[in-house]
Amino acid sequence: MPETSAAPLIAVRDLRVEFPGANASKEVLKRVSLTVQPGEILGLVGESGAGKTTLARSILGVPPTSGRIAAGEVIFEGRNILDLPEPELRKLRGSRLSIVVPNPRAELNPTMTVGKQIAAMARIHLGVDRAQAARMALAMLSDVHIPDPQRRMNAYPHELSGGMAQRVVIAMALICNPAFIISDDATSGLDVTVQAQILSLLGGLAADHGSAMLFITRDIGIAAHFCDRVAVLYSGEIMELAPREELFLKPAHPYTLMLLAAFSHSPKLRDAWRVAETGARQIRDGGCSYANRCPLAQPVCSDGRPPFAEIRPGHFARCHFPVSHE
Amino acid sequence: MRVLTYLAHRLLFVIPQLFGIILVSFLLVKSVPGDPAVLMLGPTATPAAIASLRKVLGLDQPLYVQFFIYVKNLLHGNLGTSWQTTRPVLDDLIQRFPATLELVTLSLLVAIVVGVTLGLYAATRPNGWIARFADLYGLSVGALPDFWFALVLIFVFYTMLGWAPAPLGRLDMIIIPPPSVTGALTIDTLLAGDLQAFGSGLSHLALPVLTLGLLNAGPILKMTQSTMEKMLESDFSRYEVLCGVPERLVTRHALRNALPSIVTIISVLYGFLIGGAVLVEIVFSWGGAGQYAVQGVLNSDIYPVLGFVLFSAIFSLIVYIVVDLIYVLLDPRISN
Repeated sequence: MPETSAAPLIAVRDLRVEFPGANASKEVLKRVSLTVQPGEILGLVGESGAGKTTLARSILGVPPTSGRIAAGEVIFEGRNILDLPEPELRKLRGSRLSIVVPNPRAELNPTMTVGKQIAAMARIHLGVDRAQAARMALAMLSDVHIPDPQRRMNAYPHELSGGMAQRVVIAMALICNPAFIISDDATSGLDVTVQAQILSLLGGLAADHGSAMLFITRDIGIAAHFCDRVAVLYSGEIMELAPREELFLKPAHPYTLMLLAAFSHSPKLRDAWRVAETGARQIRDGGCSYANRCPLAQPVCSDGRPPFAEIRPGHFARCHFPVSHE
Repeated sequence: MRVLTYLAHRLLFVIPQLFGIILVSFLLVKSVPGDPAVLMLGPTATPAAIASLRKVLGLDQPLYVQFFIYVKNLLHGNLGTSWQTTRPVLDDLIQRFPATLELVTLSLLVAIVVGVTLGLYAATRPNGWIARFADLYGLSVGALPDFWFALVLIFVFYTMLGWAPAPLGRLDMIIIPPPSVTGALTIDTLLAGDLQAFGSGLSHLALPVLTLGLLNAGPILKMTQSTMEKMLESDFSRYEVLCGVPERLVTRHALRNALPSIVTIISVLYGFLIGGAVLVEIVFSWGGAGQYAVQGVLNSDIYPVLGFVLFSAIFSLIVYIVVDLIYVLLDPRISN
């Protein structure tokens, strides 16, 4: 799907990921496609269960436990990385493509000091020796603004606070100067002030290193401030994709409107768009997956999957009846 | 520094632990029916002879007096005398305990090498043939009696192939044992520079070590396999994969985190095998401590039994202290 004329840095095409279910497989990602331009920050907003972490990890070829990549391609530097043998793919991960994970204290190795873990990235991917890697790790810890970096080098993950552990994980993701960073909900679970610090840190480092970023979040407000373009993910499908101003000034998809309304300060607006709880969400084959929660749904919405149409230049929405702002 | 204070703490507790063990063992052994005086004098003994022997042995005293006398003797290094060997129990055990220790230690080393290697392979290649073989191995090894397996090995390697020496003890009859320094033949023969005796000792160790080693590799294999599988599915292992860490390193890090569980089962086996090797000791006429204790039980010879309990209790306590120290070193989360 043509979005811009320049060649994208990374292109995800028709990615399908399924998980085993009670009777049949459950499709968590349904033919997701997106591209990220060099140097761009693409935001991805979605609620819990939309498939954000599945997408983040599947792009790197490691879907969450028991998940399986059923179809699709991830084109990076001219090749489909999902076709690569595992050792080849591991050379790319961490060095050219990296990920910042949420809940870092659970993800870091509990029996290794954080300094060793950061240095290990440099040693594995850049081939530097132990002393050089330790120097690089220390420099990286300073770059992520950890107080007293020399002492923190020898700390274990369980001795760090959430914010500090998050900075460690960011250091690990950036130390090899990747071309593309996926930030998966990197600021959830942190205090608001720490969130703001981490965000500005991430943005600054990405700009310094010239990396592109896929910034995944549940908070549409953060996406508003931080990203160049924003995509909205619902139930494993991209529902809307637009440049930042377009999305927030002229949202087209009813789900986007509901998200924006939910964050709104006006109680009248919130009530107008409030929908029934996410309880029974049946997966309808062939229809729009948002149809059973959509206040604007028509009969045709349950029959045909809406195409991902370009309603304005650079602004796409998957809806039979996108909201018009004329 | 914290290691030393921890050690001092634990050693302090060893005394009351040992006292408790000796007390319970004493009461248990005394409660087993069977009059030692009768057994010693045989079926033709007169009641008068039995009564006077009981008086000599102190068996006519109340139980707590007997216990008090026993503990007093212990503190002087007197573990009593075995009426079967007519030697002090301490001397008997100093001779026999190292034989068992040598056998059990070498067997455990074999078990660790076999068990951990197979367990690692089975966990990292769950669909490979090694995993399937490991399942079968764990199953069958749990079902086989060790003395039967020992006899099978003797039949194959001694009777049929003639590769192994006759199962008649630790050394060939014609070899003169080296001067006893540690009691372990492998070490003592090397210290004495007697390579012929070393070779003989090793060849006699081969079959019993193989028996105990292969059979006890089963639980080690299972523990390694299941702990490694859990580690490899944990969040931090998957994160390492996401960071592009090569498979060998991911496995090494997972093993490091799995070590506490594996060390636990090894330590439990170690303590168990000191007494648990007795059937293999009997089959190979090993002259070990387990054999000695069983003979004591069968013949109401209580001092060897109590002496063996004391030795193996001290040994187990040392093993557990060492293991706890290893935990503190392995896992940075346990320290404060």
